[in-house]
Amino acid sequence: MKTATYFAAATALALSLSAFAKPYPDHYPSSYANLVAAAKKEGKLIIYAATDTAAARPLLKDFEALYPGIKVEYNDMNTTELYNRFISESAAGSTSADVLWSSAMDLQIKLVNDGFTASYSSPEIPKLPSWSYYQNQAYGTTYEPVVFVYNKRLLSAAEVPHTHADLAKLIKGNPEKFKGKITTYDIEKSGVGFTYLTQDVRAGGAATWDIVRTMGSSGLRLQSSTGTMLERISSGENLIGYNMIGSYAYAKAKKDPAIGYVYPKDYTLVMSRLMTIAKNAKNPNAARLWVDYLLSKRGQTLLAQESDLYSLRADVTGETTISELTKLLGNSLKPIQVGPGLLVYLDQAKRLEFLKQWRQAIQR
Amino acid sequence: MTAVSSSAPPMAASSAPTRRRAASPDVLRWLVLGLTTLVVAVPLALIVYQSLLNAPFFMPNKALSLDAYRFVFADPDFWSALRNSVVIASGMLLISVPLGAVLAFLMTRTDLPGRRWLEPMLLTPVFISPMVLGFGYVVAAGPVGFYSAWWQQWFGSVPWNPYSMLGIAAIAGLTHVPHVYLYCSSALRNLGSDVEEAARVAGAGPLRVAYDVSLPMIMPSLLFAAVLVFFLGFEVFGLPLVLGDPEGHLVLTTYLYKLTNKLGIPSYHLMAVVAVLIILVTVPLVLLQRRLLRNTKRFVAVKGKASRQQTLPLGHWRWLPFGLVMLWLLVTVFVPLSGITLRAFVNQWGEGVSLWQALTIENFTTLFEQDNLVRAMVNSFGVGLLGGAAAVFCYTAIGLAGHRRNDWGVKLADYLVLVPRAVPGLLAGLAFLWVFLFMPGLKEFKNSMICIWLAYTVVWLAYGMRLIQGALLQVGPELEEAARSVGASRAQTSRHVTLPLIRHGLLASWLLVFMIFEREYSTGVYLLSPGTEVIGSLLVSLWAAGAVEQVAALSVVNVLMVGAGLALALRFGVKLHD
Repeated sequence: MKTATYFAAATALALSLSAFAKPYPDHYPSSYANLVAAAKKEGKLIIYAATDTAAARPLLKDFEALYPGIKVEYNDMNTTELYNRFISESAAGSTSADVLWSSAMDLQIKLVNDGFTASYSSPEIPKLPSWSYYQNQAYGTTYEPVVFVYNKRLLSAAEVPHTHADLAKLIKGNPEKFKGKITTYDIEKSGVGFTYLTQDVRAGGAATWDIVRTMGSSGLRLQSSTGTMLERISSGENLIGYNMIGSYAYAKAKKDPAIGYVYPKDYTLVMSRLMTIAKNAKNPNAARLWVDYLLSKRGQTLLAQESDLYSLRADVTGETTISELTKLLGNSLKPIQVGPGLLVYLDQAKRLEFLKQWRQAIQR
Repeated sequence: MTAVSSSAPPMAASSAPTRRRAASPDVLRWLVLGLTTLVVAVPLALIVYQSLLNAPFFMPNKALSLDAYRFVFADPDFWSALRNSVVIASGMLLISVPLGAVLAFLMTRTDLPGRRWLEPMLLTPVFISPMVLGFGYVVAAGPVGFYSAWWQQWFGSVPWNPYSMLGIAAIAGLTHVPHVYLYCSSALRNLGSDVEEAARVAGAGPLRVAYDVSLPMIMPSLLFAAVLVFFLGFEVFGLPLVLGDPEGHLVLTTYLYKLTNKLGIPSYHLMAVVAVLIILVTVPLVLLQRRLLRNTKRFVAVKGKASRQQTLPLGHWRWLPFGLVMLWLLVTVFVPLSGITLRAFVNQWGEGVSLWQALTIENFTTLFEQDNLVRAMVNSFGVGLLGGAAAVFCYTAIGLAGHRRNDWGVKLADYLVLVPRAVPGLLAGLAFLWVFLFMPGLKEFKNSMICIWLAYTVVWLAYGMRLIQGALLQVGPELEEAARSVGASRAQTSRHVTLPLIRHGLLASWLLVFMIFEREYSTGVYLLSPGTEVIGSLLVSLWAAGAVEQVAALSVVNVLMVGAGLALALRFGVKLHD
């Protein structure tokens, strides 16, 4: 219901705004009206995204209301499908995405480096954290902490681990209870899970491998998505999930009393969904408009409040924002740097070596 | 076409090649055979070609290389997947063949109670997506599944584990019982029961009759079914994906799926290698099957016309087999379906959850709020109903092109038809995406249902052809010969004699193809785009994305659709097998 009323309010606001004022912030350049006009002429925007349609819907509705005449075609797929489809279609010269919005940060940066993306200097850049964009081609859009998730029914408050070391200690202290009850990403199947673990090693050093080994000795259960892990934690089949996407846990916990989550105090990785504009976009102006919209205060506010993703703008307030997380965790927040550093493990030899090390650690 | 009025009767033509040459070529027929060859061979060739490259075939930096084969053969995961596939296929063989044969005997030859309503129930596993079954087992019989919880409450510990290799093989075996049942029961129906009666008159009990008389008589069909099941064992994808993945039990198809991501960027060449290897394992089985099929037909032909069938009274023992059948139904159909249904109506479940408090219909309301999911329902229905009809049309055309003929074209088509079954659906779908992307003139259809329909039609070619050929075989040749002897051309004979005679068979095929299309799930995964979503493939995508509630609710919708198809089929008196 809340969503519906919000839509109504947003739509009314948008309509009244469009009658009297421009739909974009005042600090945009005066030439921006031309961009809007050009985008409206295109009339369409194709987005390939690895974000649930359900989560994206409030943003899409608001955008379409702000810029009437631009129809958004939103394609929800997983990160690998997204990448595969886009490069296949590009090679064939067929219609493909105008905007790519994916949580596979490494693949997005690879697209930039391989020359698949267009450069666009968004007027929102001054409002963004400096680590969150790369060469005016890839823009971070969210600030999503990587968390531990646990089953509230079956884990007492005293047991809940608050640091990576706590987690290892907990498992070691009661191996019987946690046998087959810890779950995390199968990093061979999930690129996102792979990125998280490599970042873990970067932030936590050698201690990370110790934690992985401890989890491995408990008979780790591996999944390829946060959603399937949440399901099994909720049912009690697993007790703790390691390296899960915080925004999904937050959204699930709102509906499901069994789900609890913690931001690890020693360090909390932060992932950001990256957005790029395709070089051969059929609707480049509409694509620019969308990028600006999603980075704007209005877009980010909606993203935090309605989509349950976390906003990376300092001027957005609320539970799911960078400001709130910073208040809570301060320096222990470790955002994954948007840049070529993400490409290291797309080198096949390095990747396979890392996978080998991981498999040895989890004893599989 | 009109010139084909040579007076040679078709049966004679097949045995007299010199006279057949006199007939002028039948353009339409060769067109059909040519098109069939094209739609089967092009994607297949693409897969083989891709397996011999070191990068996606559309990349400028690709080169011919055997590296992909080397990589796969050096990967221990491949060998363990292969081993697991063999284990699953063997498990399926051991479970489904004896069970299927016994079921067939009970249903066709004995006075088992409730046979009339049991038959459609027996076949349901064929028409339910394995993804649905797999997830149903997690909720119902997983470590904290609700049946497991009840069992634990009453008996202390749970003796089953659906996630183990044994569990997966057992579930796969139980769900493939209907495949064996179909072949054995139709073989039994084609045989008169006089021999069995003779044995009974001589004083043999039902068990003795089944073992010493019925079994040897249907041996060829049984062997055929055994090869089929073993072959299908290499193709199982949904069950190991849902049940085996978390504990690391790979099979060839899930190994292939895993390769999508292992190197971080698409490894089409590696996937293609696995597909080629699966084809290499299964093609010999297909050939073996064809040999056996030939023998089956000969065997049946020797027996000639079936006499009136007599049922074997089971006496007061009859409740025992009935109980066994019910137990099988309980484990194979009821448990997973009740699991998935329950999951669709709660927002949480598991250890210590009161299901009453968790009840909700929210999963369904959110389903209908999302236009892509609603489109998926409409599309699935459409591709089953209209696409199914179009597919039956194509199958019939191919069937007629080979009807009562026996030249090299027919033999080629016979083999071609079986090959797509050997390609894992996932990769077949990917190959079709490539075909539509890179074949000139097809690009416009890439984001249309035509793409999905064609992939489905080709992947299920073998199944569809069997249905059509079954119907065609039932037309007495003398009727067609009569038409030909009064001067009708082959085309006219087909149009005015053969087709009207098999119209009921066609209707039945349509309904069966409808259900198969509703259930299909792996082929469409790479073909999904806005506007062309189908339920089965969305289930795989949503599962991968972790939208479990939607998977459950959508599964229920899917099962309802298949159920409606089945009910309709029975209402129209469709026989579920030939």
